[in-house]
Formats: sequence, structure tokens, C-alpha cells
Amino acid sequence: MEHHLMWHWPVIGYLFLAGLGAGAIAVSGIVVLWDPAGEFRHRAELVARLGAFIGPLPVIIGTALLIFELGRPYRALNLLTSNFWFMLFNPSPMNWGSWFILLFFIFATVYALTFLPWKALLRGERGERLAARSERWRSPMAVICVPLAIAMAIYTAILLAAVPARPLWHTPVLWLLFTVSAISTGLSAIILVQRFMFRKPGAVRGAVRREDPAFRVTEYYLVSMKVILIIAELVVIGLFIMFAHMTINSSKFAVQTLLPGGEMATAFWVGVILVGLLLPAFIEGFYLLRTAVLGHEFEWPYVINVSAPIAILFGGVMLRYVIVVGGQITGPIGI
Amino acid sequence: MSEGSDSPVSRRKFLKKISQGAAAVATGGVAGGAMHAAAIQSSADTGKQGKVQYGMLIDLRRCIGCQACTVACKAEADVPMGVTRSWVEYAEKGLYPNVGRSFLPRLCNQCSEPHCVRVCPTGATYKRPQDGIVVVDQGVCIGCLYCAQACPYDMRYLNPVTRFADKCDLCIHRVAKGLVPSCVNTCQGRARIFGDVNDPTSEIHKLIARNPVSVIRETYGTQPNVYYIGLDTTDENTKKPGQYVRVTTNKAKSKKRT
Repeated sequence: MEHHLMWHWPVIGYLFLAGLGAGAIAVSGIVVLWDPAGEFRHRAELVARLGAFIGPLPVIIGTALLIFELGRPYRALNLLTSNFWFMLFNPSPMNWGSWFILLFFIFATVYALTFLPWKALLRGERGERLAARSERWRSPMAVICVPLAIAMAIYTAILLAAVPARPLWHTPVLWLLFTVSAISTGLSAIILVQRFMFRKPGAVRGAVRREDPAFRVTEYYLVSMKVILIIAELVVIGLFIMFAHMTINSSKFAVQTLLPGGEMATAFWVGVILVGLLLPAFIEGFYLLRTAVLGHEFEWPYVINVSAPIAILFGGVMLRYVIVVGGQITGPIGI
Repeated sequence: MSEGSDSPVSRRKFLKKISQGAAAVATGGVAGGAMHAAAIQSSADTGKQGKVQYGMLIDLRRCIGCQACTVACKAEADVPMGVTRSWVEYAEKGLYPNVGRSFLPRLCNQCSEPHCVRVCPTGATYKRPQDGIVVVDQGVCIGCLYCAQACPYDMRYLNPVTRFADKCDLCIHRVAKGLVPSCVNTCQGRARIFGDVNDPTSEIHKLIARNPVSVIRETYGTQPNVYYIGLDTTDENTKKPGQYVRVTTNKAKSKKRT
């Protein structure tokens, strides 16, 4: 049976990319703020740097996807300019979101600029000055960017949850699900880029080298953080289904589409749960436990090393797909 | 019309007269009680009075499911192929020989608490203060279809020609000139009554007051202004065990009825 879908891949892609960018910035900012002058930051500087560089990119790509999906892209400016006073008090989540995107993109870009190797880019005094200024501005920018990133991640869920006519979306658990998924995919993107960059040891000059023990420690911290997030996401998915079941009526009817026998069941159980969560959790959990329990060195084959974050990113796309499409193919029951 | 629009003394007038009389002659607590009753009565009467709110009453006992309103709407509003502003749904249920078919003409409910207006990010869609009709400003709309997601009645669509959100506007161009909407004009059985639901002298107000009317999906709190007499809420998703139900909507390919 064909379905009449009003929101499809551009919206799914946008929700995923906005979450990913917000997650990457949030992780980067938290790493910077964790210990502004301490040792951890020195070891994890690469993580903060990669997160800052990854952050603004997916957000602007996702926004472009949305804008060009509209018939007339220039009309998107109406989101910000149609009437100032109305805009200020407009309760529409999409309007709030467009402001968040704008602010997030501006601040995340400035934040990313503070990570540029200014001394290498500009010779002489100007490079020195910009490097010193970047150093000074990094933490204040992180203070602004972390809450903005979390607001962005939450907003992508509130956008859907604000609609009572779509019972699958209209749940207070959705923001938690999307936020956990956003941070998890952002972290995976950082780890993935880090692994691509470090295929050959010493590929990036001046950065932490792969054979450096500091790199291993950072890697260990990141992967264990990711496994914790995966477990959290599994718990939140359980809450999501349980909440819909307990609410009964339209919500219970809507969540049937995710449960075995429903139309989205394969995409949900295989795409989101199995490939997106259980598979990376088992792979990474195995190597983590090997290190944590048996005291082995934290090291693994490159293929597995790369496939786990890719699986998590795939799961993030599938989660948005299942929620966006599942919400539209179900509706209120009764008339 | 047999709905009793010409009954000599309605219950409401009767109560009003009594309370006025009581207030005039009584003293002390009696007067207070009577005035209290009068206050309740008048507030029920004039809750939204003074504000024009166009709406529609559809007497389903008179509807024959001929789809003349669907066609008239298509022609009047120049609605492109593949989308509809107004249509009639059929609900069939029962097993031969005990079968029944009910009709449900659908159009925008011009809600008093429209959710589509709440979610619109640009303010392109709004409820007109002068007549309560929910309209889309095609010059401001960006076509994001958030309103279409928010409408519990699935009354909004993406106009494939303009690429903006579109909906039933109660034939605003006709209403502004004192005519009734096209679907009302064409209705063979005079099942559709159009008017200001807040005007106590209007036919629609009297009929709403004197008939067991209902609205669609009242629990969503949107306060719809399209009322039905004899509404059959049969739905495939809520059918009873062993019951045969088949619902035909405007969407030939969609399984969902919204």
C-alpha cells in the first residue's frame, strides 16, 4: 500500500545531519571545557579540533537540503524576516529552530576558526596574534556552543513532538531519544574521521600520533563513552515504546508500526536496533572489556575499527527514517 | 425544515423570562439565586458573541453522498489534479443483509483553536479576525507543510502548481460578496447550512442550538466550527470484533484515514 508522505528524505537527512553537527560540537565543547588547562585536554585536543571542524558542516548541508526542497528557496528567508514582533513571540518550533540554526552556525563557525593552525597559515606577527586570540576565545565560544548544540539536538525532536495529530511523534520521550542519538552520532563522526586520518601513522603533522600512548587513552575514553551512549539509547527506545503502550489509544496504535508485524518493523529492528546499536555495542564492548577486564592493550583490526562508527551513523539515519515515515503513515484513530 | 426553528417559546427564552421576572420581583437571596441563573444563561448565550465566526452545519440525514460538493469545490477553487479541499467519505459496515452506509462530507473545520496556525513558522496562515476563516497567505508561505502535519483533519495539502500550502477557505471570495460557499450552493439535499455560528439570529446558530450536533475529533481541543447532525464515527481502526467496515476516502492509494 502506497503512502502519502509530506516529509521525506530531505527532512530525514536534515534531522540526522543537524543532530550529528550538534553532537560533534557538543562533544568538542565538553572536551574543551572539561579541563581548560589540564592534561586531558592536551591528549584530547585532536577530538576537540575534529569535533569543531565537523560541527558546522552537516548543519549547513542539512539546512540546504530543506531549503532546496521548498519550491522557491528564497522564500525560506520568510522564516526570519516576515514580521519581527510576530517572530519574537511565535511559538512555532520551526521558527525557533531557524533561529537556533542561524546562531549555531555563526557561533560554531567562530568556534571552529579558533582551532585553525594560525601560526602555520600566517607567517609572522599576524599568525602569532591570531593564534593567541584563538587560544583566548576558545573556551568562551565553547561555553556558548555547548548549550546551543544541545538546544539544536532537542529542537529536532520538538519539531516533530509538537504535533498532536501525529501520535508517534507526540511524546515527551522523543527529545531524549534524538538528543542521545545526536551526541552518539556526533561522537561516531569524530571517531570515524580520526580513524581515517590515522590510517597511516603520523599522517597529520604536529598532532597526536597513533602509536602515541595518549592516542590510545583518548580512543579508549571515546569508545567507552560511545558504548554508554548506545546503552542509554537502547533504554530510551524501550521507554519510547513503553510510553506509547501505556498511553494507549492513538499512541499505542501508532507504535504498532514499529513492533513486529508493523510496516516499519524491519527498518526499526534491523536498521536501528541490530545494525545501529547492538552490533557496534557488541564489537566495541568486546574490545573495551578485553582492555578493562583482561588488561590487554586497547587495539583492534582496522576494519572493525572503522565499521563500528559507520554502523552507528547508519543507525542514526535509520532512526530518523523510522520516526519520520512511521509518524506519517499512522494517525489518530477514530473520527 | 422540521428542526423546530419556529417553536413558539424555546427553553432558553423561557428561562430568560423567568429569571428576569424573578429578578424584578424577588428580594434578598431569591433575587441573588435568580440573578445567578440569569448570569449563567446569558454567558452561555453570549460567550463568543460579537465575534463573527463563519461555520457550517452538515445534516447527514440529508446527505446522499453524490459528491456534487466535491466537484463544485474543485471547479470553484481551481484545485489541481491529485489534491482535494473538500470531499465525501463513505463508511460501509455490517454483513449482508444487515448493512449500512454512511456519508461524511469533509472540509476545513475553521477551528477556533487551529493547530495549523500555531505551528506556522512564518505567520503565513492565520485566523481572520473579521470572520474566523483560517487562510493561507500565499505571499508569505514557504511550503514547509508543517501545518499539514499538524492538522488532525488532514485538510491541508501542497498545491502542486504553486508549491505552497493550500486549504479550504470557505470560498472567501464568494462569502465576501454575500454568497454562500460553492459546496453549500450546489448541495442537492440542502444538507449544508452556512452562516455565522455566533449570531443568534442566524439559521445555523438556531439549528446548532436545537439539534444533537457533534464535531469531528473533539478531543483534540481544536474547537471545530463545522458541525454535523447524525454523525457516524465509524472507522476501520476502531471497528468492533467481527465487524466488517470499509471506509473510502479522497485518497485512493492511502490506507490511512485522517
